[in-house]
Amino acid sequence: MFSEVKKDDMTALKVINLSKTYRESTGEVHALGPVSFEMETGEFLCFLGPTGCGKTTLLRTIAGLEKPDTGKVIIPSRSGGEEPVIGYVFQQGALFPWMSIFANLEFPLKAKKIVKDSRREKVESMLEMMGLSSFASSYPHQLSGGMQQRAALARSLVMEPDLLLMDEPFSSLDTRTSQKLQENLRDLLKKASTTVLFVTHNIEEAVYLAGEIIVLGHRPGRIVRRETIDLSDPRSRVSESFTEYLVSLRKTFESLVSD
Amino acid sequence: MSLVRVILGFSLAAIFGIPIGLLMGASVHARKFLSLMVEMARPLSAIALLPLSIIIFKARTFSQLFGLEYLRYQKNLLNEMQLGMIFILFWGGVFPIILGTIQGVRSVRKMHLEAARILGAGKLSTFRHVIIPSALPDIFHGLKLGIGRCWMVIIAAEMLPGTNSGIGYLIRYSYQLSRYDIMLASIVVVAFIGALFSKGLESLGERSLVLRSKER
Repeated sequence: MFSEVKKDDMTALKVINLSKTYRESTGEVHALGPVSFEMETGEFLCFLGPTGCGKTTLLRTIAGLEKPDTGKVIIPSRSGGEEPVIGYVFQQGALFPWMSIFANLEFPLKAKKIVKDSRREKVESMLEMMGLSSFASSYPHQLSGGMQQRAALARSLVMEPDLLLMDEPFSSLDTRTSQKLQENLRDLLKKASTTVLFVTHNIEEAVYLAGEIIVLGHRPGRIVRRETIDLSDPRSRVSESFTEYLVSLRKTFESLVSD
Repeated sequence: MSLVRVILGFSLAAIFGIPIGLLMGASVHARKFLSLMVEMARPLSAIALLPLSIIIFKARTFSQLFGLEYLRYQKNLLNEMQLGMIFILFWGGVFPIILGTIQGVRSVRKMHLEAARILGAGKLSTFRHVIIPSALPDIFHGLKLGIGRCWMVIIAAEMLPGTNSGIGYLIRYSYQLSRYDIMLASIVVVAFIGALFSKGLESLGERSLVLRSKER
């Protein structure tokens, strides 16, 4: 158990007894929970679960896009007492199609009332880091799906979020592009101490990226297992330890969520 | 002459219609409050209102509205801008514009609104940078329908007694003089100009339409 002081320093996210039921004309759908967990600053936590297990609901509730029925989400404010910044990467298509890539990235900085010169500087260095410099004046529809998601990720990162929520951001891409972006993400996060909560149904993706995995069971989504992935970095998809781990996790996953 | 009248009436319709539509699209209260009025007023044909508008506005023209009485007996464009006629043009054009704008505001994708919220945009900024650009294709569609309606209304209005200029007047006058060649030529011109208006607005709106249809 953490002491009070330490908790304030390290906790990036605390979720207590969160649950959510959707009420629709066809009846009630108990989508999530109750779910409780904590995350430390700099951690990369991956929620793994089958389709329809409430992963997205969980993420949306944490982001404040949905109101929970019970429970609380606690995200500590920044050291200066500022509001914490939350980034969110949608599955796809959340870039504004009427804005250039540059304008898309500039949008959150404008909202934060950052002056023009420093906005420009931040956007340019982010584009450079993501390998998007040559697309600055392109519009989203002129980019491939992978490039679009890369730009969406860049737009979230340019805000320097305390907590980055990612909702199956690479699931709409082909395997090769998806793997490429996973590698990029890892490299980027090595430099920053961003806390990431990543949601996926792809076991390999989870094992490749995450420090820790939480397995969610079928509807209503509940935590059925939490475990640390003890693979050394950098991970390689073709190494023996990686494939071994993947296979063992796949087995447990099957048995955990099959019913 | 007809062109000037239409452009004037249509501009007024756009100036009022777009903000009203934006308001009705964005606010539930405004929509509830205004929709009954709009729905009652909308089916009223603009032509049906012409006699009424003549009663209200008399034969007043823009030159009188601006207090330029001395122009009255001179040949001047403002003398031909009868308020009543402009009013029915406004009436004909404003409803498609309002409805198009409402449709546009309401069809903004939820994900874009959520993205804007998470990216820290306030209400005003979301409205300006997200809702309006998303609504633009539908607004242009409304404008296109609006100008078509205006054009139909002006021709009919100019055929009524009390007018002595405009292409509608020309059609009626040439009919009375049995100059069917002029009449037919005028009809062709009317059709041509109507198509030109429509195409013009379409090409203006093209860019916003292209962006939306190509979005994945």
